[in-house]
Amino acid sequence: MSDDVLLRATNVVKEFSLRSPGLRQRATMRAVADVSFEVRRGETFGIVGESGCGKSTLARCLVQLMAPTSGSVTFNDVELTTLSRRKLRPYRRQMQLVFQDPYASLNPRRRVGDIVAEPMRVNKTGSESAIRARVLELFELVGLDTASIQRYPHEFSGGQRQRIGIARSLSLNPSLVVADEPVSALDVSVQAQVLNLMADLQERLGLTYLFIAHDLGVVRHVSDRVAVMYLGEIVELANADDLYAAPLHPYTEALLSVAPELDDGTQAPRERIVISGDVPAPFNRPSGCAFRTRCPFATDHCAQVAPPLVELTPGRFVACHYPRNHSTASA
Amino acid sequence: MAVFILRRLVSAILVMFSISILVFLIFFATPGVDPAARIAGRSATPQVLAQVKHEFGLDRPLPIRYGLMMDHLFIKQDLASYVNVGDKVIPQIEAAAPVTLSLVLGAAVIWLVVGVAGGVIAAANRGKFIDPLIMFLGIAAISVPAYWLGQVVNLITQSKLHSSIFSWVPPSGYVALSSNPGEWALHLLFPWLTLAALYAGIYARVLRAELVNALNEDYVRTARAKGLSERRILLRHALRCSLISIVSLFGLDFGSLIGGAALLTEVVFGLPGVGQLTYTALQNLDLPVIMGTVMYGAFFVVLANAVVDVAYGFLDPRVRLA
Amino acid sequence: MHAVDGLSLSVGRKEVVGIVGESGSGKSVSMYSMLGLLREPNVSVTGSVRFEGREILGLADREMRVLRGRDIGMIFQDPMTALTPVYKVGWQIAEQIRAHQDVTKAQARQRAVELLGEVGIPEPHRRVDQFPHEFSGGMRQRVVIAMALSCNPKLLIADEPTTALDVTTQAQILELMGKLQDAYDSSIVLITHDMGVISEMADRVVVMYAGRPAEIGDRRAVIRTPQHPYTWGLLGAVPRVETKRSRLATIPGTPVSPLNVPTGCAFAPRCVHRFEKCDERPVLRGDGHLDACWLSSEQKVHLRAGTLEIGEGA
Repeated sequence: MSDDVLLRATNVVKEFSLRSPGLRQRATMRAVADVSFEVRRGETFGIVGESGCGKSTLARCLVQLMAPTSGSVTFNDVELTTLSRRKLRPYRRQMQLVFQDPYASLNPRRRVGDIVAEPMRVNKTGSESAIRARVLELFELVGLDTASIQRYPHEFSGGQRQRIGIARSLSLNPSLVVADEPVSALDVSVQAQVLNLMADLQERLGLTYLFIAHDLGVVRHVSDRVAVMYLGEIVELANADDLYAAPLHPYTEALLSVAPELDDGTQAPRERIVISGDVPAPFNRPSGCAFRTRCPFATDHCAQVAPPLVELTPGRFVACHYPRNHSTASA
Repeated sequence: MAVFILRRLVSAILVMFSISILVFLIFFATPGVDPAARIAGRSATPQVLAQVKHEFGLDRPLPIRYGLMMDHLFIKQDLASYVNVGDKVIPQIEAAAPVTLSLVLGAAVIWLVVGVAGGVIAAANRGKFIDPLIMFLGIAAISVPAYWLGQVVNLITQSKLHSSIFSWVPPSGYVALSSNPGEWALHLLFPWLTLAALYAGIYARVLRAELVNALNEDYVRTARAKGLSERRILLRHALRCSLISIVSLFGLDFGSLIGGAALLTEVVFGLPGVGQLTYTALQNLDLPVIMGTVMYGAFFVVLANAVVDVAYGFLDPRVRLA
Repeated sequence: MHAVDGLSLSVGRKEVVGIVGESGSGKSVSMYSMLGLLREPNVSVTGSVRFEGREILGLADREMRVLRGRDIGMIFQDPMTALTPVYKVGWQIAEQIRAHQDVTKAQARQRAVELLGEVGIPEPHRRVDQFPHEFSGGMRQRVVIAMALSCNPKLLIADEPTTALDVTTQAQILELMGKLQDAYDSSIVLITHDMGVISEMADRVVVMYAGRPAEIGDRRAVIRTPQHPYTWGLLGAVPRVETKRSRLATIPGTPVSPLNVPTGCAFAPRCVHRFEKCDERPVLRGDGHLDACWLSSEQKVHLRAGTLEIGEGA
């Protein structure tokens, strides 16, 4: 059963403790609250949520850039959270990150060829000539001019820099690439190029993606399965097509209903659900269901009992006492 | 806000305490050095050495020695110099402090007014000739060493032109504010200007850079879109935000100057301030005095820092909560 | 360098005109320069800008100031930095009111409280005395909107008003802007890179590329039958929530820098349909729905169908 599971997160919690002079005692901020899911080999698992929902923190906990407060993360059935730094190293190589800001994530003083070669040099994967050959191969793979390896990051456009970031992440032949908002800083035309490139690379190299973004359209486009996060929790998890066709959680439903779409006058007008208010501060979580303060369907029950993430129909998980579209989903 | 101030003052006291321990350890616990010999001075007799040993408890454990030391410094205030036998340290500092305070306060007023005005005028006239002119004057004022500038001023006002234009300039020295305010100001006028020149130059340049940054901020664009006048945008929005860094700079400069960093100016103009006192003590290796002035200097630096932080809270609302 | 080159645009009363384009397309610069918000000494604007029939380009700063803030309000992209951090929000709104109207401090403050209430800020009486950092991003944008509306402007210029905001907050702000536009009868110029936002709000669309207008037309017409290959790419490149396509249509290359706009059609180097004629700069042509492309209408229909096939094919 777990043969096809590459990465499994079980009850992952990440808390930060904050202290401000205004507050007497330390406040605990639950950035990731009890998150469980699995990423299957070869798929793209999308995580979508608004800013502050904990999606980036979760990604960092998964690749062990940050130690989760509790919970377990397994990679190829190996528990990562208990490994020493040293023992973790081979697994780290197999999980690479691609960051949001292609301007900030590349060292401006180094030549791009060296930036791409660095992980290989640090890990001593081979002779210098082998590494150089590999850099050229990677540049070709991501569609960059191999003659440009001697240049510096500032000589490249945003899209090209993101390609450099992707080339670097692929240098150690990872099996999992965690992409944290990889295209949100790019112009739309360039964003499409990078998304297409990522799709090509996945096909050619058999990569598994964990794709994190706030843009519903982008996540829909790339993902096989999607998890929706709100205030550190997964509120809904399903196959992308099902989730987008008939969202079960009121939050997902509202998100989808307000995502701007192109209206050329031929579609039937949508019903927009504009939820009011702001996301509550993570150190001030509402009791019961985290979304209840903004949910149009919340009842007293929601304030008392936090709904667990349950599998409503095979493969469709939702954390809501009153799931929406339930009849359509099961029909 | 009151809680914020209180917290800041408590932490200042803690810092002072740590500094006193540090100073104490440097003077009394440096391995291989006999503190008694240091305190007693170069040509001390065995009787004096024994007296020093007893007085400072040098044969007793460190914490007790620290206690005795602080007792001499702050409670009995009878720490005395052995180089100039009988001179008590604390009264010396008490006598020197008003001189330094007068010098630094007056200079601070001048450099703040000149520096802020220079920075604002330069920033408001970017691209015109007056901006580089002010910046040049600023760098010139920074580059000229205070002791040289002081000597030149002395040369001109006291000898070369003393018989003509500067006949009203009194001889160097200090007259207490309480005895004659007019003479006080007259005696300090050129020391003020000399000391202020350097800082006015620095402040003008720093403020101009801050203002130019601020003028590129989004909130300035918003202010323009609101239809406010350029003058109001510069003074009420850009300057108000830039003052935050000027205030922190000022606190540090002011504290260290009060603490004795105005030494060169004091020496050149013959002002018997804390800097002068330290300078003489260092020349004579007069350890008790050095220790006293170091503690005094540290006190003002820490105090100035605390005041800056409180001022920060007033100037920048974000600090109050965070 | 021509950041903006040959843009002609008119905004009718109560009309919402969307200006869409990628970074460097000159969409913000064009508006800022018209309003005299660009302070660089080496910026020059030529042409004519008329507001209610009156030429405003070249107005003295003093006269321009009266227009800005009173007749023309502005909303900016990043609400986190758009407010002066050291003043209370109510003070900042009152400051604008008092710059244009002869009212007392108390009256201006009262108006600020009303405005904050109107833009949907709960407890405006209390919030009026808070500092910007005590507001969330969405709430700050509401404050900026309240400020822009404070003198009942006839024209509102919104520069990427929702780009820095989350989806749910974006929806709140767009809804609010729509509501306020009805209430205040103002015209809006909406600058954005997001065709989706344009589709939600605008009556008319101007597509800009390299500082030049590539296409101008009714919102639905531009979305349904885009005429310029750049617009095709722009529409095809955006992943949508309603349909899944396996590949996105892309525009090769990167947006051209305003420093070296090619002679001829600015889009030609990235255009797969370019031909000899494109060495010459195209003019905006058309009847109501204008575009700057040398292709004939038949060619456009034919080629666009081709792009769609590539975009939606397996």
